[in-house]
Amino acid sequence: MSKVYINGTGCISPQNTIDKQWFFESLAPAQEDYFNAIEPSYKEFIAPNLLRRMGRAIKMGVAAGNIALQEANVTQVDAIITGTGLGCFEDSERFLLALVNNDEQFLTPTSFIQSTHNTVGAQIGLIMKCHAYNYTYVHRGFSFESAMIDALMLFKEGKQKILIGGIEEHTPTYVQLIRKANKLQAPPHPIWASTSKGIQLSEGSTFFVLENQRTNSTLACLLDVQTLYKPKTSTDVLEKLHLFLKSHRLDISQIDVCVMGFSGDVDFDKILQELLPTIKQSSSVVAFKNACGEYHTASAFALYTASKIIKHQIIPDTLAIENKKPTEIKYTLIINQYLGINYSFTLLSNC
Amino acid sequence: MDALIEKLKGQIIEQLNLAEVKPEDINPEAPLFGDGLGLDSIDALELIVLLEKYYGIKIQDPKDGKTIFQSVKTMAEYIKSQGKA
Amino acid sequence: MISAIGNNVQECFQSLAQSKTGIGKINHLSTRHKDDFVAGEVKLSNEQLAQLVGDANPALNRNSYLAMLAAKEAVVHSGIKPNDGKRTGVISSTTVAGMGKTELYYKNLLEDAEHLYVLDTHDCGDSTERIADYLGNVDYVTTISTACSSAANAIMLGSRMIKHGLLDRAIVGGVDALSKFTFNGFNTLMILDKEWCKPFDENRKGLNLGEGAAFLVIEGEQALKERGGKALAEVVGYSNTNDAHHQTASSPDGYGATLAIQQALEMSGLTPAEIDYINMHGTGTPNNDASESMATKTVFGNNVPKFSSTKAFTGHTLAAAASIEAVISVLSIQNDMIFPNLNFSTPITDTQLVPETELVKTPVNTVLSNSFGFGGNCSSLIFKKVKA
Repeated sequence: MSKVYINGTGCISPQNTIDKQWFFESLAPAQEDYFNAIEPSYKEFIAPNLLRRMGRAIKMGVAAGNIALQEANVTQVDAIITGTGLGCFEDSERFLLALVNNDEQFLTPTSFIQSTHNTVGAQIGLIMKCHAYNYTYVHRGFSFESAMIDALMLFKEGKQKILIGGIEEHTPTYVQLIRKANKLQAPPHPIWASTSKGIQLSEGSTFFVLENQRTNSTLACLLDVQTLYKPKTSTDVLEKLHLFLKSHRLDISQIDVCVMGFSGDVDFDKILQELLPTIKQSSSVVAFKNACGEYHTASAFALYTASKIIKHQIIPDTLAIENKKPTEIKYTLIINQYLGINYSFTLLSNC
Repeated sequence: MDALIEKLKGQIIEQLNLAEVKPEDINPEAPLFGDGLGLDSIDALELIVLLEKYYGIKIQDPKDGKTIFQSVKTMAEYIKSQGKA
Repeated sequence: MISAIGNNVQECFQSLAQSKTGIGKINHLSTRHKDDFVAGEVKLSNEQLAQLVGDANPALNRNSYLAMLAAKEAVVHSGIKPNDGKRTGVISSTTVAGMGKTELYYKNLLEDAEHLYVLDTHDCGDSTERIADYLGNVDYVTTISTACSSAANAIMLGSRMIKHGLLDRAIVGGVDALSKFTFNGFNTLMILDKEWCKPFDENRKGLNLGEGAAFLVIEGEQALKERGGKALAEVVGYSNTNDAHHQTASSPDGYGATLAIQQALEMSGLTPAEIDYINMHGTGTPNNDASESMATKTVFGNNVPKFSSTKAFTGHTLAAAASIEAVISVLSIQNDMIFPNLNFSTPITDTQLVPETELVKTPVNTVLSNSFGFGGNCSSLIFKKVKA
């Protein structure tokens, strides 16, 4: 198979990622124990008659998709694949509360329709009049990884241009509830050496245009993705990592930058904390959840981070755990974890 | 009748989240669907709920909406004909 | 498979062969509309389901129970051994996920520490991971949610991952339990029939909701050969397309559906004339059945194969529908039977298509199964008899 090129990104996150020039110069802090995404003015991207119905997840998704397509200068694709853990939660919550509060009466269809998990992918398809393959993955910390794995298969099946993205939104009530369940804390410093429990719940939407050819806007190449479900120990993960890299005739020492999904929760980060000493022996290491917070599809933000690092050939100080100042950043590896259950490896290279 | 039309305009804007539209922009005789306000079949279902919620009128068959929701004026006339205004 | 017509494949087959619908009065779902509508409920309470699963964990919900039972049945039936070192995937799908429990507690959850666990069981991944943990030794898990075509896409993904050498076998399917959320949602769209649904009838009024789960074990040829297993049928064609017409409605000409059917046929190498039976999506809504009829006419012209919608048996089980209908398609192939389209009397004026209304015994070598969902999602699968 020819390579898979990342040719456009669109990112709405708690950071100033709407600004194309921004490159992790300084990081916006969390709102105490959670992050809100910084949203653009949607009128630029979405027609008012559509906008009036959309919840935030849909708006963030359609806008980020649009930005990625613009950056890649692509107007039609062979597949649209999205990942989302909670889907259009705001609309689900709205319909649910209306249902409970009015004893199943006077309900209107709009929030029900929009609450369907595949609404973002469907809306993008509808707006683009794209009749191609349209999938939505909804599996926790594997939602975006599943989208990437699918996209890589589709390229092997002969597809040329694919739009993929990860979308997550939270609501004020949801944040309150997660806090009530003792799952949140203010970010520990540094995030990769946490000794206490709790994440910073977050949200965002990150899209990518993948193509089978290099263009002027190419950032990096996506080589491979693998998921690990409930690995028991860091030895398990390391063993799987060796095999994963070996299938690309690589070993850990050849990884220039490792992007690691430390969430700031001591239990969930346990395996990554144990892996860190081994990895930083030979590779530079960066965090990313100190920038984007934790959510089901934070790995889409990790892919954004990794692609930008390869493009700029710079390791940002704001993310650096270990900076070996490599002369060339060739191979970049993302190791993510979600709640200590869903682990994944994503391998990128320069092109 | 005019008061009912004005009230309806406000309710339609709210129900359909027509943030860009002001009551004075809506011509009571202009078509709601297609060219006029550009509403669609989902809006029709929203309008059915509007009639139930504010006027206690239940429409069983969504097809009946076609004649009732031609314009704000036809909606007002329908509400009157049902003795609900 | 567990559905309104039976708690396992054998029971479901008996109901299909005896034209016995599972749609009736609502007994288990607590809703103010329970006397206004009929539905295809699984005929077991949550307590009975918990007992069958053998797990009293309160965090398990109806969705998980149904998924675990159906997946287990599929695995046991297939004869695969969980510990044989083969790479196994669980690819499930759902739309309602844990909503059936979330809707009971969400409003007062801030003051209700006991039920805060619904935050962890609300999402679509929950039932999939429950299946994986129930079966053990699973290498890959993922969940798809593309509305009413979800399980077809799970079947398609499993087939592709095996073809690409990423998995040796996959347990694929879907699940959706009834909930107030989906019930009221479909009610706001005014597409529920208060009586038995009448797919492809001129006077059809809408769909009946159902619930259930169905899973299939799909295996690569190599893995199947190595263990000396025998396949029930072969997946020879599939396609997913998008109608890109409207958020919920299908296009009048069924463009997306036509594309899906054509592409699945092309992949299978079969000509339209070689399809013996079509298990239609056939929900019984005015819009779906008109659009699907148009697509069928476009692809098959005046030689439309024997067809039926089995949703008048099971109700529309949303994310589970395509896997329930995949099992029905396989049963059709295994038994050389075409199951009837219940409640039909008058063909749709424009298309004049007439489904099978009685059980037909005839050689069935190939089945096309359609599933279409919100967001214009269209999927078609083709199953073929394995040569002896």
